[in-house]
Amino acid sequence: MENQLTSYLTQLLERSANQKGLDWLSTQIEKIRTEAIPSKFFLAFSQASRYFKKEKLEVSNDLIIQADQLVSGFQPEFWDQLQTARTVLMLSYPQEKKPWFTAMNQLFETADMKEHQALFAALPLMPFQEELIPRAIDGLRTNISLVFDAIALNNPFPEKYFPEANWNQMVLKAIFMQRPLYRIQGLEERRNPTLAAIARDFAHERWAAGRAVMPEIWRLVSPFVNEQFFEDLKKTLATKDELQIKAALLTLRESAYLPAKELLKAYPDQVATLDMDAIAWESIGLEFQRTRV
Amino acid sequence: MYIDPHIHVVSRTTDDYEAMQKAGIVAVIEPAFWLGQPRTEVGSFKDYFSTLVGWERFRASQFGIVHYCTMGLNSKEANNEALAEQVMELLPLYVGKEGVVAIGEIGYDDQTEAEDKFYRLQLELAKEVDLPVLIHTPHRDKRKGTIRSMNVSEEHGLDPKMVIVDHNNEETVKEVLDRGYYAGFTIYPHTKMGSERMVEIVRHYGPERIIVNSAADWGISDPLAVPKTADLMRKSGIPEEHIKLVTYQNALTAFGQSGQMDERDWLDAAPLDQTKKMSGNSVLRGGQTPRVEGKTDIVEN
Repeated sequence: MENQLTSYLTQLLERSANQKGLDWLSTQIEKIRTEAIPSKFFLAFSQASRYFKKEKLEVSNDLIIQADQLVSGFQPEFWDQLQTARTVLMLSYPQEKKPWFTAMNQLFETADMKEHQALFAALPLMPFQEELIPRAIDGLRTNISLVFDAIALNNPFPEKYFPEANWNQMVLKAIFMQRPLYRIQGLEERRNPTLAAIARDFAHERWAAGRAVMPEIWRLVSPFVNEQFFEDLKKTLATKDELQIKAALLTLRESAYLPAKELLKAYPDQVATLDMDAIAWESIGLEFQRTRV
Repeated sequence: MYIDPHIHVVSRTTDDYEAMQKAGIVAVIEPAFWLGQPRTEVGSFKDYFSTLVGWERFRASQFGIVHYCTMGLNSKEANNEALAEQVMELLPLYVGKEGVVAIGEIGYDDQTEAEDKFYRLQLELAKEVDLPVLIHTPHRDKRKGTIRSMNVSEEHGLDPKMVIVDHNNEETVKEVLDRGYYAGFTIYPHTKMGSERMVEIVRHYGPERIIVNSAADWGISDPLAVPKTADLMRKSGIPEEHIKLVTYQNALTAFGQSGQMDERDWLDAAPLDQTKKMSGNSVLRGGQTPRVEGKTDIVEN
């Protein structure tokens, strides 16, 4: 598997990076593979920043599809050149369990910001994934948004592995940090009543403090709308804020709660302009990030 | 635009960062040093080094300031030899990180044998990874300690152009400059230099290879020492281009030899946008609005 991934990632780099960097990388890969000396691996991992830029990869549609076939949910279109090169180096380190963990633990513990970003975003490409769950959960305790994003956004790892409590903590922290929720993989699939209640408490806390509520949080509520959530959505509809209203209408539309269906009838024009769920939520998230964050 | 090439910002508040940014400081270098409280475990060094390349770098960026650091085992803690040995094993993990612009601050404190041993080992490390060296000169017996630092550095074959000798005063500056080193001056109230003395030094020696810094830390010190000294130089008739050299360009030239510090890091950075600053931020917690000007008795919501 790691060979397939390495050649895929190298292919991506060949489209964006310069020859000097690529030559350096292939030398390092060879050394790391054959010698497996931790200190040399760490040094190469750090020094990749001298050869690769922090610019986004150029990824064609075909390559995007190929990525998802290799690892379900892998989205290299959100990756930059430097983290891709670092991931190639990481994959080149021999995957013999005990020494692999010794080396990776040290790398995680001494990483700088960009190194952390590369490591955490590459979790779904790593071996021994189930044993890396605590590492991912611990990583989310960061307050550095770059690192938080690497785990929480466009990454299939949390959806696949996180227990519900940790999943809920991650989504709540994303709300608190005002990160774009639509970029969390599995956001809809892993909705649950506990998280809906947490989101509701959070909204109430914001309202009590006289602050606006991030409209994307109502997406977490749709399957669980009851009398209480219904009151919150009515309150949201009463704001003069178009994004809030849109979010409330989408939530009502998806909900099976009968009074919700009734209430929708009062907004025929607005409902007619709403897109399909996923697209509509994405546009709300985008608009919120663009104008309010 | 100013660079403060020696400041321990981990000890400073967000008010300081705001004031520094407003005063025109675009970049800082944070040399690894001791923390006042001596460390007793190697893990404390590891987490401190990680802070310098991690959290503090991020925190500075939230205020529109580019943060670099130097890595090294300081002379005071070199005296705990058993611990120092372990720190030496740790250093190679950090010296290649992004934004590490020198090995430092290293050198002598009490000028003991242990200090000498680890100073020499770190000079060799600097040569191996081709990084500049930042030398801390001792508070006590300064002149002798400074000369010894340079002698030992030359014994190990380092090019003086790659070495910044810091915390100079009127008694050390001539020899440091004559021997081809960069000479750092720390404007630190009551102990090292005052800004008026600094003006006279620049007037007398000219701006070549002279670098002004604050070394502000957890003591009574001033994170605005560099811009304040520049202002005083201006009022005292020092030419603008000389001021630029000693408060910006010389530091960039010296530490830029690392390949890790480039003017584009701040010139090409997106302009600091107070609303954008809040994005995913954490220094300003959950939706807190950054204070822009003036202090009132209302804490903003």
